[in-house]
Amino acid sequence: MALADERYCSVDLETTGLNVKKDEILSFASVPIRSSRIVVGDSYCTLIRPENYKLEAMKYHGISKTDLEGALPFSALADTILRSLDGILVGHSVEYDYRFLKRYFKKIGVKFKKDFIDINLVEKWLDQCCGKLGQAMPFDAIMKRYGLEADYRHNALADAFFAAQIFQMQMMRLEQQGIESARQLIKAVNRCTYAIW
Amino acid sequence: MLPPREFIKKIRPFSFLSSKELEILMSGLEVELIHKGRTIYTKGQARSYVYMIFSGLVGLFENDLPLDHFSKGEVFGIVSIRGKPYATTAKALEDTICYLIPADKFHDVLESNTRFSSFFASFVGRSFKSFKSIALDQQVPEEAVLVQEIDKIVYKDPVICGPGATVRDAVARMDQHGVSAIVIVDAEGQPEGIFTQKDLRRTVVSGDVRDAVSSHMSSPVKTMEPTETVFDALAAMVKAGINHMVVTRDGKVSGVVTRDDIQVHLGPSSSITAFFSKIGKAVSVDELKHIYSNINKSVAKLASVGFSFYRLTRMITSVHDTLLSKVIEAQLGEAAADRFLWLNMGSSGRKEQVIATDQDSALVYRGEGEDWKGAAQEVVEVLAKIGIAKCRSGFMASTAQWNQSLSTWKDYFNTWFYDPVQDHVRYLSIFLDIRPGYGDPDLYRELTDWIRWHITAKAIRRLAYDAIMIEPPLGISGIVGLITGVDLKTFGIYPLVNGVRVLAIDNDMVQVTNTMERLEGLKARNVIGEDMCHDLLEAYAFMQDLRLKHHSRSVLDRNAVDNRIRVKELDKVDLLILKESLKIIASFQKFLMKKYDVKRADSYITSVLVGPPSAADQSS
Repeated sequence: MALADERYCSVDLETTGLNVKKDEILSFASVPIRSSRIVVGDSYCTLIRPENYKLEAMKYHGISKTDLEGALPFSALADTILRSLDGILVGHSVEYDYRFLKRYFKKIGVKFKKDFIDINLVEKWLDQCCGKLGQAMPFDAIMKRYGLEADYRHNALADAFFAAQIFQMQMMRLEQQGIESARQLIKAVNRCTYAIW
Repeated sequence: MLPPREFIKKIRPFSFLSSKELEILMSGLEVELIHKGRTIYTKGQARSYVYMIFSGLVGLFENDLPLDHFSKGEVFGIVSIRGKPYATTAKALEDTICYLIPADKFHDVLESNTRFSSFFASFVGRSFKSFKSIALDQQVPEEAVLVQEIDKIVYKDPVICGPGATVRDAVARMDQHGVSAIVIVDAEGQPEGIFTQKDLRRTVVSGDVRDAVSSHMSSPVKTMEPTETVFDALAAMVKAGINHMVVTRDGKVSGVVTRDDIQVHLGPSSSITAFFSKIGKAVSVDELKHIYSNINKSVAKLASVGFSFYRLTRMITSVHDTLLSKVIEAQLGEAAADRFLWLNMGSSGRKEQVIATDQDSALVYRGEGEDWKGAAQEVVEVLAKIGIAKCRSGFMASTAQWNQSLSTWKDYFNTWFYDPVQDHVRYLSIFLDIRPGYGDPDLYRELTDWIRWHITAKAIRRLAYDAIMIEPPLGISGIVGLITGVDLKTFGIYPLVNGVRVLAIDNDMVQVTNTMERLEGLKARNVIGEDMCHDLLEAYAFMQDLRLKHHSRSVLDRNAVDNRIRVKELDKVDLLILKESLKIIASFQKFLMKKYDVKRADSYITSVLVGPPSAADQSS
């Protein structure tokens, strides 16, 4: 299947920290990309009630304890979340999100296995194609590069949407670099691992 | 927070939508990246989406001919009727990201929100003025009443009596209706005079209440049409030192407005009226200076909330005229009035002053050998002290060249008409917009009559050339140079004003100087069609509004005032209308080129022969 015709799903989580084994998911957002169109109307976003909540995280993503008290636990949302995750996962450092989700699904006995494409690695790969060194960039920097408004409140839905927009623009550049399918892309960027950072 | 929602919400007219309506649009929204060169839709294709550009450039085409371009924040693919196919073909001229709104959802919202739909309708119909009222903030300052028509504050039927009624009868009737004045009318209902409480006091002292009211009334009586503004009425009352203004419709009395009526609407705090009323009583230059600067600030506030140029400029003109009379009378005494004519030119001559206007004046006297230079110098200096800057190019009554006898002025025009070289064209474009400011009206009549009979075809053609010489800065991606600033005066306002002036002078309208009045007159004479008149009026008002808003920002921020509009000052809709307005000017120029057989192509030759374009350094 051609790169542009594939089904993708841009995903972003807000978590209490970066420890994939211990930290908790606080919110989930997904924005589907079908036939290279971002289908905003089908995007999904929810808060998830954690078992414990570290107060420090609040500074980072602005989700308060009261916000979370009205939310459902992951187990109650798992079906909807799973249904919304349609296609290849896309996001900034999406491997973290993938591993968080995998742990959560495993806990409720669901086997979760998906392909994923990290837009940060795609960007690095594209840079290397252009003869540049190709450095890892923070999300804000990539957004800026693609002319997206960096002035926004950090939240899962906005980040998932912006990641989708970045990937949409990357797809065009990828086609120019001769990438014809998602499979080929995944292979190519995997050579560009985090190890060289 | 959904980013597209935040993006769309900030753009008029989407900003008029309720969150529920926005939600409807969002529920079907898609984002598409369209490669450069790709066709987005073709003419006749069934319509599925309305497009809003997030980034990039899109061209609309009809039979492969380009019609229009759209860029960030602009909407295309709208058809007024649900279910109709696309009327043009759209292509991406650059890689473009579009927000796609399903046409059905768009129409659902269009039908549910009248503000939203009238906005699109106005745009299609090029009614930029109605745009403004739709877009205007709901909250308006109390000064708003000043720019309303007088009619709006006349509630009572006029209290009237015939000239034969006795003073006693008249006063009884005033009491019965609780008014402070009665209008004496003839058999046709036309006003003969007014009888106020002041007149009653005089009657009690030196007359008899059994006398006919006509023998004690004040006459003639000041009247105004109901379509004039409240501020004009107030200005006239302040100027004449009276408290009652009789409103007439077709010559018949239709109401009376008092200074109190106006104050009631404004409240005591209203600065404009309060300050304006003080002009008459002011005794020192410092006082006038204080008054003038405060009026300017209040006008700036009105402009910054979006009050229209056409109305505000009348207010500014009234202020300037009142100040001029006040200063001339204070400096030279009232008797000077019949001995010379003080002329306003440029924007003041056209009654189109904006906030930062400088002095543009000239003086005409009757007899040879008289000397009015010293007198004019005094007036100009005082006006400058009050805060009306002197004209840097010296177009002022204090300059010897522009302070001359009637016969010298006729000689001037004669020279300019027969030898329209660059400088002379410049003079003509200034002195063909003259308006009497103070003094002898006969001198004005004689001079304008003379102009009317002596204008030459050669001069007309040269003036027409001047109007078409500067091409509006329209490029493929919209307006050229907006980042660093586009000079509205040079590119928009001048070509229009100059072109309209040529047509007016060429059609015997020498005494009509106001651009709007000239356009109406030209339409009435069938010189221009109704559509052209409408489009030009709208474009002109819009550009002047922008300029006024721009100036008012400078006044309120205490910055130096210029005419360069920069892209960051404009919201999306302003940008859109500015582009449309410049297009209207471009087609007006084409009309002039054809009518007067002038071409921009010979600009090279002309510029070599007669020097650089004049429009940019014209007097304001």
